Amino acid sequence: MLTHSIKEICFFKLRYILIGFILFFVAALVFIINGLANGLAAENISSLKNMNAEAFYIAKDANNRIEQSRFSISDVEKISKDDRVEPLGLQMLSLKKSGSNQKVDVTIMAVHPKGFLMPEVTEGKSIATSKEPQLVVNNSIKDDGVKIGDELYEENSETTFTVVGFTEKETYSHTPVAFISLKSWEDMLGSQVKPYYNALVLKNDNQVVKSDVKGSLGSGVWVSTDDVIKGMPSHQAEQTSLNMMLIFLIIIAVFVLGAFFYIMTIQKMNQFGVLKAIGAKNGYLIGTTMLQVFFISVVSISVAVGFTKLMQMLLPSSMPFIFNGVLILTYAGILMVVSMLGALLSTVNIIKVDPLQAIGRVE
Amino acid sequence: MSQIPLQLENIRKTFQDGDKEVDIIKSLSFEAKKGELVAVVGPSGSGKSTFLSIAGALLSPDGGRVIVNGADIAQFSEKERADVRLRAIGFIFQSANLVPFLKVKDQLKMVKELATKWGREAKEEAQQLLQSVGLEHRMNHYPHQLSGGERQRVAIARAFMNDPDIILADEPTASLDGKRSKEIVELLANEAKDKNKAAIIVTHDEAVLPFCDRIYMMDNGRLILKEEMI
Repeated sequence: MLTHSIKEICFFKLRYILIGFILFFVAALVFIINGLANGLAAENISSLKNMNAEAFYIAKDANNRIEQSRFSISDVEKISKDDRVEPLGLQMLSLKKSGSNQKVDVTIMAVHPKGFLMPEVTEGKSIATSKEPQLVVNNSIKDDGVKIGDELYEENSETTFTVVGFTEKETYSHTPVAFISLKSWEDMLGSQVKPYYNALVLKNDNQVVKSDVKGSLGSGVWVSTDDVIKGMPSHQAEQTSLNMMLIFLIIIAVFVLGAFFYIMTIQKMNQFGVLKAIGAKNGYLIGTTMLQVFFISVVSISVAVGFTKLMQMLLPSSMPFIFNGVLILTYAGILMVVSMLGALLSTVNIIKVDPLQAIGRVE
Repeated sequence: MSQIPLQLENIRKTFQDGDKEVDIIKSLSFEAKKGELVAVVGPSGSGKSTFLSIAGALLSPDGGRVIVNGADIAQFSEKERADVRLRAIGFIFQSANLVPFLKVKDQLKMVKELATKWGREAKEEAQQLLQSVGLEHRMNHYPHQLSGGERQRVAIARAFMNDPDIILADEPTASLDGKRSKEIVELLANEAKDKNKAAIIVTHDEAVLPFCDRIYMMDNGRLILKEEMI
């Protein structure tokens, strides 16, 4: 059965190479879109995802969006000092590199420098608790030429921040996150506006703390981190459209492969009839066909995985693309099943072949 | 083992033709002896192909018994009949109907593998068979590289590969010219005698008849013995 199917593939090379190519391109496209979806998701929400947070306390009318929520600092300070809940300030800004006109977009997150919201610093040192305007920023900002010790200038508040360290996997809304201390946050907001925080963040689920906060700050609701992520408008839109592409690609693959295998079996009807007449059973004929599809699928999908890996290495690092092995393997498995299913559809024809047709004609 | 590997008794086969049932074959009885080449002739539509299909375990009769090597296969399932075809019957078709992507030696290997295993012994058998049909030099060729006569020779070798007791040929000379036709039937007759097989050949071709031991005429659903050579 095995040698039979391999010999057929070797003899009708062109046919099988064609199918292989279709499968390869579909698979590669599925993997690349998947990588892109992962990359975009990471750029958009990785900061929230990696945050050590269970829920956010957000203003009622803020549509689950941190940026739209505000609590005045004086209100927040009414809450008894509790290290299970911390305030968070969030603002998207353009900072100007000192000594040049170059601007970099960042998302400022104001956190307690020693609190649970402060991420691990991977390079340099952490921000001081004092008023000094320092920031620890996601390492993707290095692509803009920012180094430790550089100064970044914020125009509205005329504050000059010093970059003291880098962290990783902290991006929000496609911009690197810059962490500053709550004190520099208050200074930065300055006198023009009444100082505020955007949200309160709860580390672990705790009903007592939740109701405490709600008691003293009545105008908000507790929203889980997942719901905050879902509330980010671009995230949902990106992921939905990319996932729709993936699903459509897979459905297209079922039909294209199904049609291709169908035509191939139809072409071989006569041969199947002869083989059945000389005593080959359905199991053997279906087995050979399925084995061929299995070989083609394994080869094309593996090559596609390799190709995607190569793409990842060739793409510029600014391109949001993440090769997630587990997800890629899952999709590879789905495609494998899809192509076997496509082939299985045409095996009905093999069963239907009557060995009688090998004899001249039926009278 | 008995000298009569194939025996048909009182075979009846009807086909639905519109509202009516038409008897294609009625009370047909027939025997094939080992070492004998039998020809069945008759006009088209006379039921030759149906006869061959029933004798070849491709079709079940509506009545009567089909005895292959002592077992009545008339009521066998399709799967059981496939096994009978594989082990007890060797087929030769109108056009050779070889598998296009297999080399000549692999054609024989495939039928052997369907039935049992391919080993050193089988390999020697295949070589001898190809030698006896005069194709040992074509072992590594594909069917499309062979002439029509050569292809039909491979088909003959393939039919003998599983050492069946019965050889059935369906118009084996239909796609060959006169000279080649004779060669092929002569080869078939010699092989059947040599290897002591019961061979049945259904044909239109008068030229092949001199090689046959008995000639039957298919007429109106019955087989009539036309000629017996002694």
